[in-house]
Amino acid sequence: MRKILSILLGLAFGTTPLWASLGQSEASVHEDQQHMAGQLKSATFNNYTVHEITAAGGMVVREYVSPTGMVFGVVWEGTTMPDLPQLLGPYFPQFRDAVAATHRHRGPVYVQAGQLVVESGGHMRAFRGRAYITNLIPGNLTKDVVR
Amino acid sequence: MKAQRKMAGNLASLGFALALVAGLFTLPGCSRGLGSSSSTGGGGGTGGGTGNSLAIAVNAGPANNDVNTPLASVTICIPGTSNCQTITDVLVDTGSNGLRVLETQVTIPLTNATDTNGNPLGECAMFADGSFLWGSVSTVDITLAGEKASAVPIQIIRTTGSVGFPLVPNTCSGNGTDDGNVSALGANGILGVGLFKQDCGVNCVSTPPANMYYDAGAACTQASCALIAVPLVNQVQNPVSLFAKDNNGVLVSLPSVGATGAVSVSGSLIFGIGTQSNNALGTAKVYTTDGLGHFTATFTPPGGVATGYPQSFIDSGSNTFAFLDAATSGLTDCSTLVPPGPAGFYCPASSTNFTVTNTGNNGVNAPVMFSIFSAQSLFTANPTFTAFSNLGSPFAGAFDYGLPFFYGRSVFVGIEGQTTPGGTGPFFAY
Repeated sequence: MRKILSILLGLAFGTTPLWASLGQSEASVHEDQQHMAGQLKSATFNNYTVHEITAAGGMVVREYVSPTGMVFGVVWEGTTMPDLPQLLGPYFPQFRDAVAATHRHRGPVYVQAGQLVVESGGHMRAFRGRAYITNLIPGNLTKDVVR
Repeated sequence: MKAQRKMAGNLASLGFALALVAGLFTLPGCSRGLGSSSSTGGGGGTGGGTGNSLAIAVNAGPANNDVNTPLASVTICIPGTSNCQTITDVLVDTGSNGLRVLETQVTIPLTNATDTNGNPLGECAMFADGSFLWGSVSTVDITLAGEKASAVPIQIIRTTGSVGFPLVPNTCSGNGTDDGNVSALGANGILGVGLFKQDCGVNCVSTPPANMYYDAGAACTQASCALIAVPLVNQVQNPVSLFAKDNNGVLVSLPSVGATGAVSVSGSLIFGIGTQSNNALGTAKVYTTDGLGHFTATFTPPGGVATGYPQSFIDSGSNTFAFLDAATSGLTDCSTLVPPGPAGFYCPASSTNFTVTNTGNNGVNAPVMFSIFSAQSLFTANPTFTAFSNLGSPFAGAFDYGLPFFYGRSVFVGIEGQTTPGGTGPFFAY
């Protein structure tokens, strides 16, 4: 029912990216993997591919790629927070600015800015979050696939 | 959690693995003084409490702008001496473990703890909103009410531009803003009295996770600062589990707060569970957690199907009920009002009731009922109020039961591996 693909990666990753991942091409997954010095596993499901990067120290990042090759969602789980500028790429400034606009609130954050949604929560030892671009989610899927 | 575990399993062995081990380098020995003034405190102040009960106040805090922020006084001493000082307005946080104080509040001469390379140990405490606390680790004796813990590693939070210690590495600061000042933190420090004995635990012992403990010797720069593994005993420690007695957990006791809020409230952080007449479990139910401190909250939207949120927790350091998103909860996100209301909160037009079932790892379950009202209305109606029982925030990943959950409840936090009349921690009980 599910077609499992193996993605083989060469060692020639090339130059350091300006940014990677959310809203970027599938190639940016490999840049994230290199940045995290992690192991990559990939699987293709009906109408999307998931790349799961597991880094030393227990950080897990999953990136969701549409059939057109765009990263439409990312999920993170870890003892510590991931490198959000790396994961959110060009969308990071929107997240940063939205968080900076909150006052008197202490706790997990939910940011909706244009097509961007970021949910970041948890606590020391166990952080978890996800981000997705609403209009990049393949038509037959919902945000619930990014989990 | 189950859904993700299943997903991970589906991703099993066919993927190609490329493993690069994060580089760790050994740095030459270097020791730096803290650089704080060396005045001598009065020695041994108990800082707002007696016996096993420490006073908690919920008020506007030292930044004079905070809501639902539980604050207490903490006394720290040079280890083995009576050279002590009391630091007021420290956030009581059941969502973290260990004491962190702003360097600017420290007047006693502390020395930096060293790492396994003999260099100063650095730490980045990063939060979900991207904010961070960067600093050194020092060992102090801690007195909380009448309880004392000796030789406890704590974090000394450096402020931007602080001298005498490496500047914050970019890998710590890159996600957001520096909370290392009174204005941003809304407190003079954080007292983490959560479910665990250390702030990191076994995940920091062999292979260090990103962005936490750093080898802060002379080679540590903003551009490049090596991570370092830290033995459990050298990590920042929950002081409660180091007490000679009353060391199996805490009880947070705060009074009820009405629907319009209160100017301030007073309560107690009581040490020990079932160890004294003032900390008996009584009728409280014990909800054990998984190894990450989570239980499952189950919510059924009107006309929808029940959904479990298996990474839910109780956190006095969050200042709202943080749960669901606007679409699922039916609550208006204040940010979407025209003009926008206070960002980060829910702003329903009328008070809205929720019933959620919490289930511990031990299968114990019971419903929780709470109400959410508009943060904008509450803040506007009574601008000087600082305690609200009905503030909510969107967060779809889990139920994060913040301080509003504590009002009118006795909430117990059982520490991992410690024995109590209700069983062995980690657990929450209420």
